[in-house]
Parts: sequence; structure tokens; C-alpha cells
Amino acid sequence: MKKARYHFFPSEPNQAIAEIGKEKLVQILKSMLLVRHFEMRGEAAYQQGKVGGFYHSYMGQEAIQAGCIAAAGTSHWFTTTYRCHALALLLGTTPNEAMAELYGKTTGVAMGRGGSMHMYSDRLLGGLAIVGGHVPIATGAALSIKYLKQKGSASFCFLGDGAVAQGAVHESFNIASLWNLPCIYVIENNQWGMGTAVSRAVRIEPIAETMAKCYEMKSYTLDGMDFFNCYAGFKDALNEVVKTSRPVLIEAVTERFRGHSISDPGLYRTKEDLAKTMERDPILLFKEVLIAHKILTVAEYEEIDKEQKTIVLDAMKFADESPFPDLMTLEQGVFAPEEK
Amino acid sequence: MGSQNIEIREALRQAMDEEMTRDPTVLIMGEEVAEYNGAYKVTKGMLAKWGPERIIDTPIAENGFAGIAIGAAQTGLRPIVEFMSWNFSFVAADQLISNACKAYYMSGGRFKVPIVFRGPNGAAAQVSCQHSHCVEAIYGNLPGFIVIAPSNAYDAKGLLKAAIRSNNPVIFLENELDYNDKMEIPTEEYLVPIGKAKVIREGKHITLVSYSRMLKFCREAADILAKKGIAVEIIDLRTIKPLDIATVASSVRKTHRCVLVEEGHIFAGISAELGFQIMEHCFDDLDAPLIRVCQKETPLPYSKPLERESLPNTARIVAALEEALA
Repeated sequence: MKKARYHFFPSEPNQAIAEIGKEKLVQILKSMLLVRHFEMRGEAAYQQGKVGGFYHSYMGQEAIQAGCIAAAGTSHWFTTTYRCHALALLLGTTPNEAMAELYGKTTGVAMGRGGSMHMYSDRLLGGLAIVGGHVPIATGAALSIKYLKQKGSASFCFLGDGAVAQGAVHESFNIASLWNLPCIYVIENNQWGMGTAVSRAVRIEPIAETMAKCYEMKSYTLDGMDFFNCYAGFKDALNEVVKTSRPVLIEAVTERFRGHSISDPGLYRTKEDLAKTMERDPILLFKEVLIAHKILTVAEYEEIDKEQKTIVLDAMKFADESPFPDLMTLEQGVFAPEEK
Repeated sequence: MGSQNIEIREALRQAMDEEMTRDPTVLIMGEEVAEYNGAYKVTKGMLAKWGPERIIDTPIAENGFAGIAIGAAQTGLRPIVEFMSWNFSFVAADQLISNACKAYYMSGGRFKVPIVFRGPNGAAAQVSCQHSHCVEAIYGNLPGFIVIAPSNAYDAKGLLKAAIRSNNPVIFLENELDYNDKMEIPTEEYLVPIGKAKVIREGKHITLVSYSRMLKFCREAADILAKKGIAVEIIDLRTIKPLDIATVASSVRKTHRCVLVEEGHIFAGISAELGFQIMEHCFDDLDAPLIRVCQKETPLPYSKPLERESLPNTARIVAALEEALA
């Protein structure tokens, strides 16, 4: 990663800590640990054959979406990729609903119809699994916000570095800028589009700083491993969008800890490189700051960690014990009911 | 009851205008719909009346604006998307196929997609291979879509109004060559229900099923056979999906013979599906094999005689009817 060319958004952890407050910081840590345990246990359930299809883990990227929700709240529209478990959980989908969806059970958040790649909440439009194809959808949610004059709201669109090469992304950026839509595009640059290094797929670097100029958008580069930097960047970005009703482009530089999906052994990345990345584990970095600021003791951290693990284990039990969808429901709900 | 003699184009405009009056979340977007007044003038005068917030010109970016409209439909609006030609919808295929028709089911019923995609479908006047394809068989293959193809001004208006009020994604197929067709229709508001075919000519010897522009040739063929004492019953499907097989089957049970006419290609076309469903419902009632009259299996060529030879026409329909009656 050639970080020298990036201009990271300046942030000051002390300011964020004072602003967020102790109680909420602990809640944020809980949510990040929930995501981490959910992904670890979800993968384990996959290995046991309880989860099918594909499984894309968010491990290593938790600071980005946790920082976004901490800064912006949940009263917006959100759209993301197939790597969607974290955002659903952060937006209030319960671990039970999310785990049951992985298990294909009727109690799942999408009634077992979506699976790992299609999680939802009342503000999350998906969990959409065609690379780049969800970016126009998020842009449409921004059109609704503008049309319905929902001042203060924005549409958040998370996409990967791999999606940057897709035409739908460019069409969306152009139209959002042309029509002044309140859309916040977040490129989570996790360095890999499946097994292809970002430098082999995308000519420009930094991505957001370079592209934003073409579409006359404001850009941000965030350290995706640093919760406080993400928090500060998202807060500023939302203020900017609400103030100007213009889209912005964010690049959060991160690196996923796992393969593209569970079936990817990650042979394109050396063990040493991965170990180096994991030294900057966003949860450990966050924990260290909280401990240094005496918001948390090591013992309290361990207690929280255990508690979140228990929540996920309970969710697995719930998912296990939930029934599969009744086969009679298979052909129901292809069409929404019509008004009488 | 008042009446007005108007073109299909005006019937479509009235449908959208009335629904925009009724529901402030209805908007129109597409290429040249606003300042240019529509490539085929279907949206003529609408920008002046409704303003640029509700009549929205888009860049030439079908994948982008179709997806944006779908996202808007999921979050509280009821967009009408005009494709200048349905052939351009192929640029937006990912949005239609992966999002519009799947979002409701895939989200476990959380996000409905109330949206209408409309525009001219199929062949026009020698517009060649890339502007002439019929899309109904392609989109008809996707669960979640409603597919509508009206053949006259009355149905066009009533069905478009019903489509805009639907909570589901609608593929609404018009025809460039028919926009000028005039018809006497009521001035009062009315709806035409989705999913109901119509017997537009009663007969007892043979059933002829089609939709949209091909019905003109069907009528001519029926006139020719009438002179020979053959009474052809013609059914206008009006809605292709959901298919009103009950109306078709009742007719076939009466006439015992049936010819299917479709502007699109024969392989895996609408008439392939329709024919199979007739077999399922009327196997014992049939006195002759079903016959299809469809487009030949080539990209639609430019040259006038080649184009004419490829598309169904009156002579081919007459020949098919006579063969089925033999």
C-alpha cells in the first residue's frame, strides 16, 4: 500500500472520545465485537455444513461501518455489498435474525430467501450481490430523500475497490453529482477484488481523491483500521452532504483478514503480509485507546468479549432450533400485495 | 359519458398525467422525456405542467437511471421509466433482472418495487438488428415482473394507470408504429385490470391469439377467412404475464383449433409458453396441432423486403389458419 500518496482526513481521538462519551464508546466496542464473533462463528457454522452458498467475512474492516453508524446514526438509507453481515447487525438486525438467515431458517431476516449475501433491516436495502450493481440503487434512495425533502438524511453506499471498475458506479457518480443527490459513497479499499490486487484492477491511486475531482465531489480518505478516524470522517462527510446536498466520495483504506469468501485460501497473500495487517486489528486498536483513556479495564474488555461471544452462541442455538421455511410458502411473496 | 378520439400516444400521456395528479410520488424519468417532450412525444407538455422535479431528463445511462429509479421505488417513490426503445433496456439488464424483479422476494417481503418501465418494443420502420428486438419473452422469463402489451388507446390508458398503481415492477410494451393509432375512448377516468385477456372478435371455427401490433394482421387474416365462411375468434392477451389462460382455454374448448401469433422469435417465445399451457388445459379438446406464426430466427435485418419476410404478416397468418383448419 503506497500510503504516501494518500491524504488522510485529520482526526483527533481525544475530541471524538469527549464527544461520544464513555457509555456510547463501550456500546460501540460491543457492536464491533459482536460483528467479529458473528463472523467467526458464522464461518464455523459454514464449516459444519449449517450455512450454504458463499460466505464473505467483514473481519478486519469493522471500524469503518461502526465508525459510520456511530457518527451518522441509523436514520438514513444504507446499501452495501454481499459482505453485509456487519452493517445489518449495526443497523439493528438482531444476531438471531442474521444467524437464522445464514442457516436458511424461516426466522431469518429475509425469511431464509436471501442468505449470507442478502441481509436487510428497515433502513438497509441490502446486501446486494452483483459487484457495482447496488450503487444505482443507493443513488435512487438519495433521489427519494431529495424528492421527499427528508432534510438531514443521506443515502450511504458501501462498495469495494473491485466495484470501482464497473460502469454502474461511474453512471451513478455522474448522475448523483449532476442532480445534487445526498449520497455518501464509501469505497472500502480492502486491497483485493477476490484474488486480484487493487493495483491490477484500478489504474488510479488514491481512488476517491482522484475520482472525486472528475465528478466535482468532495473526497475523503480514511484509515479504515482506525475507528476514531472513520468516525471523524463520516461525521464531517454527513455534515457536508446535509449542508450542500451534494454527494461525497470516501475511500476507507483497510485490509480484510480473511479470503474473498470462505472458499478462498488466500494464496495470493503471504502469511507475513497478513500478520503485518493483523497487527493493526481495528478492534484491538480501539480497545487500546479506550484502556489508555481509562474508559475500560482489561478485565472489563474480557467480560464484554465473553458477553458478545455468548450472544452469538445463543444466536446459533436459536438458528439451529428454528424451523426451515414451510415448503408451502415457496411461491408466496413473489409479488407484493396490491391495494384493493 | 363523454368521449374523445385520441391517439395511443395521447392515451398514454393522459394516464401518466392523471396518476401524477392522484399521487405526488409518481414521477417520470428517461432520455429526452422533459425538454425534448419525448422521443415519440408521449410526454409532450408534461415538463411545462409538472416541472423538472417530476419530469426528469436523464443522461444516456440506462443502467444508472434504471437502477436509480428502482432504488427510488424501494424508498417511497413510484417512478415511471421511459426507455426510448426497449432495446436500450439491455444496457440496464442487470438492474431489471437482479434488482427490480427480485428485491421484494429476496428481502423476505421487506422492500416492494412499485415501478413502471415503458417504451416502444419490437420492430419499427427498418431500424435494423439492434433496435428491433421484442423483449417480452426475455422479461417474461423472470418471476416478479408483470408484462403488459396493449394494442389500442383504450387499453393503453387503462392498463398504464393500473400499472402505475401496482406495487410491483411492470414491463409496459408499446409500439412505435402504433403511437398514431386513434380510437374513441371515454373522457371519464377508468382502469383496465391487469391480467385479463379480451375476446375482440367472436368466432366459432378457430381461435387466433396475439397481442399488441400483430392483432392488426390477425384482423386482416380473419376478414379474409370470413369471406370463405370461416369465423375466426381473436383474443387480445393485453397482459402477457400473468397470462389469462382461462380466457384462451375457454375459446379453444369452443373452437378446437388455435393459431398463435407473436412478433418476436419462435424459440422460447411467448407463444411457446402459451401453446404449452393450451396443451396442458385443452389437450382433449384440440382437433388439430397448434400452429405458431413468429419472427424468423435471425436478427431483424434492415432491408425492407427482408424485414417484411422475417416478421409475421397477414399472408402467413392466413396460411397458418388454413393449415390448422385443414
